[in-house]
Amino acid sequence: MTTKFLNSMSLNDTFLNSMLSNARFAGVFIMLLLLSGCARNPVLLQSTYQALPPHAEITSVPFYAQTEFQCGPATLAMVLNHQDVETDVEQLIPQVFLPERDGSVQPEMLATVRRYDQLAYPIRGTLDALLGHLAAGDPVVVMQNLSLPIYPMWHYAVAIGYDLPSETLILRSGEIERHTMSFSRFDATWARTERWGFVVAEPGTLPAGITARNALEAISAYEESHGPRATLSSWQAFEAHHPANAIGQFALGNAFYADQQPDNARTAFERATELDRKMGAAWLNLGIILLQQDKPLKAHSALTQAAASEGEWQERAKQLLDRI
Amino acid sequence: MKTLRAYLSTLLIAALVITSLPVAAAPTEPQSIDLVSTQSVLSADHAGADRERINEILARADVQDQLLKQGVDLDEVDARVAALSDSEVKQMADQLEMMPAGAGGGVIGALFAVFIILLITDILGLTDVYPFTR
Repeated sequence: MTTKFLNSMSLNDTFLNSMLSNARFAGVFIMLLLLSGCARNPVLLQSTYQALPPHAEITSVPFYAQTEFQCGPATLAMVLNHQDVETDVEQLIPQVFLPERDGSVQPEMLATVRRYDQLAYPIRGTLDALLGHLAAGDPVVVMQNLSLPIYPMWHYAVAIGYDLPSETLILRSGEIERHTMSFSRFDATWARTERWGFVVAEPGTLPAGITARNALEAISAYEESHGPRATLSSWQAFEAHHPANAIGQFALGNAFYADQQPDNARTAFERATELDRKMGAAWLNLGIILLQQDKPLKAHSALTQAAASEGEWQERAKQLLDRI
Repeated sequence: MKTLRAYLSTLLIAALVITSLPVAAAPTEPQSIDLVSTQSVLSADHAGADRERINEILARADVQDQLLKQGVDLDEVDARVAALSDSEVKQMADQLEMMPAGAGGGVIGALFAVFIILLITDILGLTDVYPFTR
């Protein structure tokens, strides 16, 4: 009885042991499977393969190797110099580097571009969009986490080209002038920053593929520091890309007005109100211009619309209506 | 700091109220009316323009403080804060501490276990830490 029991014990024991080691093996196996699952090739749209040339590389982007932790200033120097803006890493370090953090943060990267009278447009966060910009000749500043989220290693680099057949991205990165990286490895490191990246463009140009929202915010941020007159050409470029965007027409109206072109401003505000009948701010601005142009009847109807739509402009519209 | 902020905001409220009074009282000429700006339409929060302005001024002071603490030169701080848009200032004031700072420095002094893990993920094509894995 006892021996039988012992026997069954040891049987159980070996069974348990083999179970355990199997489980361990299975665990490691599943872990690897999961990890390699994450590393699968990012799927590019079929249209990307068809629309883009198989190979693109913007070789005219200069290279400055980063020293210490200064990949932020180095990447900015590369893209700004590529735009024929005169600056260098030494000049950019005090403008964008945070000594205590040993790095540069995203909002300041964008803001520093604007200090050099250029616009910084965040791109749509997909590999397709990134390759599209490269094919169009615009280098893209990308932010990556080269390491894992638990031990992050944040990094800025400039994507300058790609090769579709070999699924490789080409970057100016760190101390490597031509860093080639598989799409899958790049996408894994890029995904950890929610695929953050931006292109630099001079006023009056809007790179294709930028979403309307990103463009609106980028141009508006430029307007905050440079004023509406300096931003007029960019709003015109925006209108050319997104003619049916009501906020774009509204912004264009403001820029025209600041540039003392009230007739053009009026047309733009009129278009804004046609595109979005409920845009009180556009009705109010239209009403103000019509008042200034001595058209009280038309002004009255515009201001009535403004007073009817909810928002901070309501009160002002009512005050103006009282005075007509 | 808290009291300074409280003091500053009262002062700002008073200043804004006083400066807005003559505008409300005086008969306004159509020519002097400002249009609604693009920025105020784009910013999602339309509640209370005055409060918005106060918050913004405080946020800028906040970011200025933080930049100084992060070792930015006194001469550069003003220009750096001025270069930020309103929404960027808000972002920085709220979360500069947590914000990733692109550095691109090597993993020096990492634990051996971390070294091994990153080595494996590098070989698997998930990370790009050690150049010698390729």
